[in-house]
Amino acid sequence: MVTSNDVHDPGDRSGLELPKSPTGITGFDEVSKGGLPTGRPTLVSGPPGAGKSLFALQFLVYGATRCAEPGVFLSFEGSRDKLASDVRGLGIDLDALEQEGRLLVDAQSMAREAVATGEFNLEALMVRMAFAVDKIGAKRVAIDSLESLFAAFSSRPALVRSELLRLFSWLEDRGLTAVITGERAEDTLIRHGMEEFLSDCVVLLDHRVVEEVATRRLRILKYRGSTHGRNEYPFLIGPDGLEVLPITSLGLYQRVNSERLSTGITGLDEMLGGLGVFRGSSVLVSGTSGTGKTTIGASFASAACQRGERVLFFSFEESQWEIMRNMASVSLDLAGWVDRGLLYFHCERPTTQGLEDHLATMRRLVEQVAPTLVVIDPVSSLSRGTSRGDVSAMLTRQIYYLKSAGITAVMTSLTEGGNDLEHTELSISSLVDTWLLAITMQTSGERNRGLYVLKSRGMAHSNQIREFLLSSEGVSLVPVYMGPDGVLTGSARAAAEAAEADLGLGAEQESSQLSEAMELRRKAVQTRVASMWADFEAEEALTARQITSSKKREQVLRAARLEQGRQRSVKPEDRP
Amino acid sequence: MSVSAGVQPGEGEPAPVRLQLALFISGASPASSRAVRRLRDLCDRHFPDGYDLEIVDIYQQPEVVVSRGVLAVPTLFKELPLPVRVLIGDFTDESRVLAALGLPTSTDS
Repeated sequence: MVTSNDVHDPGDRSGLELPKSPTGITGFDEVSKGGLPTGRPTLVSGPPGAGKSLFALQFLVYGATRCAEPGVFLSFEGSRDKLASDVRGLGIDLDALEQEGRLLVDAQSMAREAVATGEFNLEALMVRMAFAVDKIGAKRVAIDSLESLFAAFSSRPALVRSELLRLFSWLEDRGLTAVITGERAEDTLIRHGMEEFLSDCVVLLDHRVVEEVATRRLRILKYRGSTHGRNEYPFLIGPDGLEVLPITSLGLYQRVNSERLSTGITGLDEMLGGLGVFRGSSVLVSGTSGTGKTTIGASFASAACQRGERVLFFSFEESQWEIMRNMASVSLDLAGWVDRGLLYFHCERPTTQGLEDHLATMRRLVEQVAPTLVVIDPVSSLSRGTSRGDVSAMLTRQIYYLKSAGITAVMTSLTEGGNDLEHTELSISSLVDTWLLAITMQTSGERNRGLYVLKSRGMAHSNQIREFLLSSEGVSLVPVYMGPDGVLTGSARAAAEAAEADLGLGAEQESSQLSEAMELRRKAVQTRVASMWADFEAEEALTARQITSSKKREQVLRAARLEQGRQRSVKPEDRP
Repeated sequence: MSVSAGVQPGEGEPAPVRLQLALFISGASPASSRAVRRLRDLCDRHFPDGYDLEIVDIYQQPEVVVSRGVLAVPTLFKELPLPVRVLIGDFTDESRVLAALGLPTSTDS
């Protein structure tokens, strides 16, 4: 659970912080820094089908089940039974919650036609709300929706408005945290001039269709007395209901694992510090078509199965049978792993459903299969019909989800021809831990596959481009020939290697000749040194003799001078 | 609720089933009292064979308000004869009340 305390915001002072009620909607409590304002009404506005009712109901159910705050759901959008069956799929059991007295649903359809015969008021609205609130001691309420109320009494908008205002002020007096849903009009937040009365907190839900694929967005338009995320956040309606995807506030809490996993490709493990990738990390394999991306993904899968681990393989371009057949040609027996119940395929055309639904499906399958490794081939096809920002936000969430579950993710991404290779269209490259780039190298009439590690966090990795060989014996990486003529692959590499071997033989001979010559030279030098040494010794002996004889001469001279002095002076001994 | 089988009430035909009404009002407010008086008077005049009128105070029986889905006050349910009709308002528009209750509207009234 995310509370306001978990959100790091140095600008807030806890003493002044508005009390908030968590909604339990994944991501929303992060964006709103704790939830909705306690004791105040929040307007949730959006077009039909945007998920307003679900937002309201999830807020109530979370309060009832996790916060000991019973809730009242007052709905004019349809019968109670219909509502109950709609939300059963999301794991919400309205009947049980009602029996336990934690939730009270007062739902009706406004489709019934009434004959207006004169003046009336809407006092019963207040009576119903008060009755429900008092019955279960509610702390949270939701009214769904303003639109249906105004529609039912379309002849008297002023009456509906004044009755609603009375109801809102009663809710505030009772300190009830409320969610009120309404449709958005062209230029105002909601129709019927209600926005000025519901301005403490306004959440906009949107549901737009971009290139035939529906995407959902959420934005907190205002939140009086509180900071909040101001962006437009994509959200999805998944198996657990609404999920907001606030990439900017993704917590980085996942525990790291230093265990290394083999990639299934010997040469590749060597390039990755000799051990492969970290367990629970995310690996991106990008490249243009035909560079062997799927094969790399399949190798990861096969290696995991070999360790006895479960793998979930999502394919958005090929069927399970196509992949198994194609991989059998490079000695990857995927069918065998499927039979042994270690490998699960989920193959689906990317266009069958919207992006958020794809991700919801993926998440559901991940929960069912409980794999240790997930292959998504390719993530780039998910972007069809969706704006890039959406896909990257969704994938960010997915990567985060897999990481926090400790599941290794291998994603392939197709780079369109002409695009910069070291640039993923989905802008997820900064999120992945290991990025392998599959390239093609064209030389001397051949097209050869190459692979290099663009980045790999937390490990020493090779800076080499290696040639990626696919053969009936399997998949392998061999060092490319790197010579004075540049990088050579394929037959050119083989030729260059052979030529180098020839050259090597010649060089060996040359070097032995050189060393012989050197030995001779050494002997010559030694001889010269010896003779010079002899000369020096002779010189030294001569000098020593000369020194001795000059000393003797000096002694003789001094004795002669002393004798002369003695003969000339009285006291010759005292004179120097 | 007892329903007589084969009854096909229509415009202009007297209803063979006794009129059964449920009126939701808010307590003892002057507006509510006026609405009750107006309805009684109208029914007394147009249904000489008698009718059943149940009056529900929304403040006294809120659970019935919920179960019947009442929002407007006053709300009148014409339970019988079928079909059930819902009338909201204080019965000032007499011709609409009569039409909804299954009586022909006299042009001169």
